[in-house]
Amino acid sequence: MSAPGVIAITGLGSFLGRALMERLLLRSPTVRVVGIGRRRPFRLDSRVRFHRVDLTDPAADGRVAEVFFRERVEAVVHTAFRSEPTADIEADHELETIGSLYVLNACEAAKVKRLVVVSSTMLYGARPDNPNFLSEFHPLRGHPDAHSIQNRVEAESLIANWSLRNPDTEVTVLRNGWIFGPTYRDHIVRYFALPVVPKLMGYDPLMQCVHEDDCVHALETATLYPHPGVFNVVGRGVFPLSTMLRLAGKRILSLPPPLLYRMAYYPSQGQTGDPPQGFYDYLRYLWVADGQRGWDAFGEPIYTSREAWMAFVTSRRMRRYR
Amino acid sequence: MSETNAPNTNPIDDVAVRQALDGLRREIRLRFPSTPDVSPAPPERAVLPPASSERIDWMELFDTVRRRVSALGMSERSGEVDEFGMDEVVLRQARPLLDLLHDRYWRIELHDSGRVPSGASLLVANRSGLLPYDGLMLSHALARANRERDRPRFLVADWLNTLPFVQPYLARLGGVRACRENAERLLSSGRAVIAFPEGQKGAAKVFRERYRLQRFGRGGVVRVALESGVPLVPVGIVGPEEAHPILFKWGTPARMVGLPFLPVTPTFPLLGPLGSLPLPTKWVIRVGDPIDLEDLAPDAATDELLISRLTEELRARVQQLVDAALADRSSVWD
Repeated sequence: MSAPGVIAITGLGSFLGRALMERLLLRSPTVRVVGIGRRRPFRLDSRVRFHRVDLTDPAADGRVAEVFFRERVEAVVHTAFRSEPTADIEADHELETIGSLYVLNACEAAKVKRLVVVSSTMLYGARPDNPNFLSEFHPLRGHPDAHSIQNRVEAESLIANWSLRNPDTEVTVLRNGWIFGPTYRDHIVRYFALPVVPKLMGYDPLMQCVHEDDCVHALETATLYPHPGVFNVVGRGVFPLSTMLRLAGKRILSLPPPLLYRMAYYPSQGQTGDPPQGFYDYLRYLWVADGQRGWDAFGEPIYTSREAWMAFVTSRRMRRYR
Repeated sequence: MSETNAPNTNPIDDVAVRQALDGLRREIRLRFPSTPDVSPAPPERAVLPPASSERIDWMELFDTVRRRVSALGMSERSGEVDEFGMDEVVLRQARPLLDLLHDRYWRIELHDSGRVPSGASLLVANRSGLLPYDGLMLSHALARANRERDRPRFLVADWLNTLPFVQPYLARLGGVRACRENAERLLSSGRAVIAFPEGQKGAAKVFRERYRLQRFGRGGVVRVALESGVPLVPVGIVGPEEAHPILFKWGTPARMVGLPFLPVTPTFPLLGPLGSLPLPTKWVIRVGDPIDLEDLAPDAATDELLISRLTEELRARVQQLVDAALADRSSVWD
């Protein structure tokens, strides 16, 4: 299929959904974007047709299929995932797993030609027995304590099964590393924005980032050109966590894991609904992904991991000088 | 009427100028933290706040204390690591200690280092002791013997990645977790890799069984060498077994801490953590002739019997080297 003329984006309120929409509208006047989400974004371009559909609604798959039929949608980009886990575990599961299922049902009914789904390299799981570079063929082990990661692992397995049942649709899954940049915000960015950053004493894994521009570029390329398969979207290079924090000039609070987990237990449950291990294990063990397939498919990223991190750090420094 | 060409040597001005220069130098060093090429800043005069009635600047005090404490760790590093985590600056700082261990403590003798082929090769050695001193020292000895080549990387066991404090240091000094993907990736980038196929079984040998090589895994080493097309180089290391003479293995308290077993040596649980220091035995490392696998058929990697036979031959060669070195030495200590 050549470049799709009508592209539906679920989760238009998310960072990637909105950024993709803006890029697509800039790219050509003939592309039509259909937005599906819970709330109409505030300043929406007049060329975008927005349909209010709540993906947690039991009849959502019918409504979404109806939208796809009516607008004659050719490609669907599914970015309707929570940017950060909330304390309401059932609602997160409804949106991320069941919502994905509804979108898949709608795609099947409308016989959509291309489906692009955003995912995360956190789904590989941070384990001491990970190889130094996780390829796309590595099984997704996730983290048993982090509910949003487990939801998305389940969603990915649904998508994998669905793509086997629907071989006519080109399915692309993009697993992004931790996104850093001047504008991107989620709970991970909020952690790194703390003035005093708690860290696990004695552990210093290698970290990897991707710049938000490279992420959106990969998403746009996957939407407009055929790239079926799974790709890791990450920046080149790795650097240790302590270097990351030192470059940002953070004050580091090193605590032994049992003490840190006890201290962070209630705040973590309140904010993310998970025990602290669900996040801190990603600062403890290695979970670096091999991005070669992604770089071959979508081109060299403009920013290396270190440059992406510095872009975030310098943007925060500029905020202080008003 | 004598004209003096001497400069104005008013003592007060000199002192003031010197103090100003000192302050400026200190200020520069504080604002631009030391890069690898610059020597570290001279110790500041006072950590405690001055005795005068100045208000204590707590954040500055915190910063000073933090800087002093972190200077004890790895904070003078560049943070530029290669893709597997090896850091040249940490290596440079650790070099005196590694050289001390190599020259004075263990007095390592490396024989036939010229047999190690240039480019990628898979060195296979016998494993002894829980902590990877043998891998670290072999890598250091080979790097010193062949300075123009890349430093060889040594493969370490999985569970070392779970230990705090050990995990970052191992990676920075060139250790890599032992698994197939890592070995293949290292070899494809043209480096020499040191593997210990005995694995846990080798590390857990008690003193009675020292230098008797256990089964060399399930042929993974040979399979990696076949698929990457690199020669296998047998290496025998004599010395580390006696550095940590494990009398017997204690299972129960080890599992609580996360270790596979707790080694009981003549010094270890008795003298506490100090007893885990290795003894200064003399080490002898012998490098054998490389086994070239190029003349084998391309689909040899699927031939299980061939792999098993090659593994056994590799084990026999390493055992030969170890036995030759054992026969040569007169005593454990020299």
